[in-house]
Amino acid sequence: MKSIMKLIKRFVITLIFSLAALLILNIILLFTVVQPDTESSGGWKAAARVAECLSQQPDGGYELTEEGKIMLEQRGCWAVLIQDGTGDVIWHSENLPEEIQLHYSAAEISWYTRGYVADYPTTTAAKGEDLVMIGNSKESYWKDMYPAFSLNMVKNLPRTILLFLGANLAGVFLIYMVVTSGILRSVKPIVQGIQALPEGEDVYVKEKGLLSELASALNLVSEKLRCQEYELKKKDQARANWISGVSHDIRTPLSMVMGYAADIEEDAEAVEEIRQKAGIIRIQSIRMKNLVNDLNLASKLEYNMQPVKMERVNLTALLRETAVYFMNLDMDWKYPVELSSDIGGISGNSVQGDKELLKRAVSNLLLNAQIHNPAGCHIRAGLSEHSGKLCVTIEDDGIGVTEEQLRKLKETPHYMLNSGTDSNQRHGLGLLIVQQIITAHGGRVEFGHGMEKGFRVDMFLNKPEESIKIVEKEA
Amino acid sequence: MNYDYLKNKRILFVDDEEGLRQMVCSILKKEGYRQVESAGTMAQALELCASWKPEFAILDVMLPDGDGFTLFEQIKSFLDIPALFLTARGEEDDRIRGFGLGADDYVVKPFLPKELLFRIQAILRRTYKEEAPLLELAFSRVDFERAEVIRGGEHLALTAKEYAILQALGRNLGRIVTIDSLCEAAWGDNPYGYENTLMAHIRRIREKIEENPSKPVSLITVKGLGYKLIAKSR
Repeated sequence: MKSIMKLIKRFVITLIFSLAALLILNIILLFTVVQPDTESSGGWKAAARVAECLSQQPDGGYELTEEGKIMLEQRGCWAVLIQDGTGDVIWHSENLPEEIQLHYSAAEISWYTRGYVADYPTTTAAKGEDLVMIGNSKESYWKDMYPAFSLNMVKNLPRTILLFLGANLAGVFLIYMVVTSGILRSVKPIVQGIQALPEGEDVYVKEKGLLSELASALNLVSEKLRCQEYELKKKDQARANWISGVSHDIRTPLSMVMGYAADIEEDAEAVEEIRQKAGIIRIQSIRMKNLVNDLNLASKLEYNMQPVKMERVNLTALLRETAVYFMNLDMDWKYPVELSSDIGGISGNSVQGDKELLKRAVSNLLLNAQIHNPAGCHIRAGLSEHSGKLCVTIEDDGIGVTEEQLRKLKETPHYMLNSGTDSNQRHGLGLLIVQQIITAHGGRVEFGHGMEKGFRVDMFLNKPEESIKIVEKEA
Repeated sequence: MNYDYLKNKRILFVDDEEGLRQMVCSILKKEGYRQVESAGTMAQALELCASWKPEFAILDVMLPDGDGFTLFEQIKSFLDIPALFLTARGEEDDRIRGFGLGADDYVVKPFLPKELLFRIQAILRRTYKEEAPLLELAFSRVDFERAEVIRGGEHLALTAKEYAILQALGRNLGRIVTIDSLCEAAWGDNPYGYENTLMAHIRRIREKIEENPSKPVSLITVKGLGYKLIAKSR
C-alpha cells in the first residue's frame, strides 16, 4: 500500500510542476500573439494623429496634411470632424463612403463612439472642442460595446486567479483519480501478491481486469516457487530418510559386533592378545555407534527436521547429568570430569533451550575428549557468564590440537555442509553437531587451546529473555 | 548386597534377529540368569507369555508380525510384568511412546552388554524389592524395609529424607548419582536450591553408616557432580 501512496504523491508533485510550466508557456504565447496586434491596433492613436494633422485654413475650413492622408490611405479608413454644438460634419476625408451621415446627435455620437457606424468600427479623438471620428475598415476590429467591470472583481483579481488555478488543479486531480483508481484497483492485488512472495506465502491473484496478464504471470511464478520448495523439501526429506534408514539398519549388526567383542574381552579364559584385540573392536564399534547417531542427527539438523523443543534448562544440572553419565561408563576412571561454576543462584544458570539437544552437544564434547586421548585426560566442565551470555566450557589437558588443525576447524567447511566437490573438506561429525545445536539455539561456538596443551570449546548461549525473543521472532 | 534371588526371574527376550537372540541369551546366562527364553515373532512371544509366564520382558519394536508396542500392550492385558524396549528406533517419539505405555526403560541399539545388564538388574531390583535383603556396606547394613541402619548391633532409624536419598543411591549402587537426582528423590519436582540442605542430610547419613564420617568409605563425594554409594567388597 505504501507504494501506491508514493505513486499518488509523485503524481501530485508532477502535476503542480507541469501546470505551473503550462501557465508560464501560455502567458508567453499570449504576449507573442497579442503584442503585434497592439502595435497595429492603434485605431485610437490613428484618430489622435488625424486630429493633429488637421489644420484650420484661413477660410475657416480644414485641411489634412499629406502625412495624414497617406496614413488614412494605408489603413483604409475614413475620417470625419464633427463640430461641437451643431453635430455637423465640418470636414471629412475624400474617401468617405456614401452611407455615412453628415450630421450627428449627441446620443448618436455616444453610441457610435462605443460601437460602429454602418458596421465600420470607430475610434475617436478630440480636436479642440470638436471630435475627430475615424471609421476603420470593417475587417479590422471587433469592439466590446459594454466595457465596464465591477471594481470589486478587478480588486480581487489575484485571489480569483489563484482560486481558478486551485479549482483547475483539483479538477485535474479528480480526473486522474477517477482514471487511475481503476488501474490501482487492479494493481493492488498484484502488489500485495508480489510482497507476499518473499515471505513464502501461497499467492493467488484473480486473473481479470486491466492487468490480467500480469496476474496470471504472478500466479505462475508463485506456483513455480511452491513446486520448487516442495521438490527441495522432498529431496531433503529423502536424503534425511535415507540416512536415518541406513543408520537404523546398521544398529542390529553393530549390536552383535559390540556384544561379542565385549564378551571376548571379558572372557578370562581367552588369550590376552585376543582379549586386547576384542577390546579394540569394542572401542571401534562404539565409535561407529556414535558416528551413526551423529550422522543421523546432523542430517536432521541440517535439513531442519529435528524439532527444537524449547523449555527452561538448568545448565548446571545438565552438565552434572551428562558428566555423571560418562563417568559411570568410565570404569577405569581414566577421564575424570570436574565441574566448576562461577554462577551462583538457581535462576542465573538457566537458558531457554532443547534439553536433549544441549545434552547431546555436551556429551559429544566429552566423547571427543575421550576419543582423542586414549591414554586418558582430565576434563573440566565449566559454566560462566561473559558479556550477558552464558558460556559452557568443556576443556581437557590431553593432546590438544595444533594451530594448523585449529585454523582448519574454524575455516574449512564440513563435508555435510559443502556443495562443492573439492577434497579439502572437514570431517568429524561430533563438533559439527555441537555447532549446529548451538546455532539452532541462537548461540555461537569457539574452539581453542585448553589447559596445558589440551583442547577447549566454549559455547555461548543467550540468557532466557533474549532466547525467548529469538524463538518468537522465528515463530 | 546379595541379589542372587533376582537371577531366578524368568526373562523373555523378543527380537526378530536370530543372531542377536543367541547373543543376548548367552550374555544373560553368563551373568547368572538361569531362566531365559527368546521369541522371534509376536505370536511366539504371546504364546510364551501365556504358557511360561515370564517375570520380565525385553522387547524389540520391529517384529515381522507386528510391533513391540502393540505386543507390550497385549502382554499387559493379562500379565503385569516390567519391560525394557531394546530397539534400533532411537527417535524421540518412539521413546516417548515406549515410556508412555509403561515401559521401565528404553535402550537404543547398538548397546554394550554391561549397560544392558545394569539396566535389567536395576529394573528387577526396583520391581521385586519386597524380597530385598539388607544392603551391606563397609561398616553397616541398611534395612530399607524398616528404614533403619544397623551398625555394630545398634539400630539407627532413618528419617524420610535420609531414606529417600539412600534409596536413590542404593538403586544405583557403585555409580555416581547427581546432586539434582538426589534432590529430586528427596524433595520432588522442583529440586533446585536444595543443594546445601542435601549436604546436611548426607552428613547425617554418614554419621549413621560410616565408622568415621569425616573419612567416608561407603558414601563418596564426587566433587561438584554428586555422590556414590559403594557396597561392601566381598
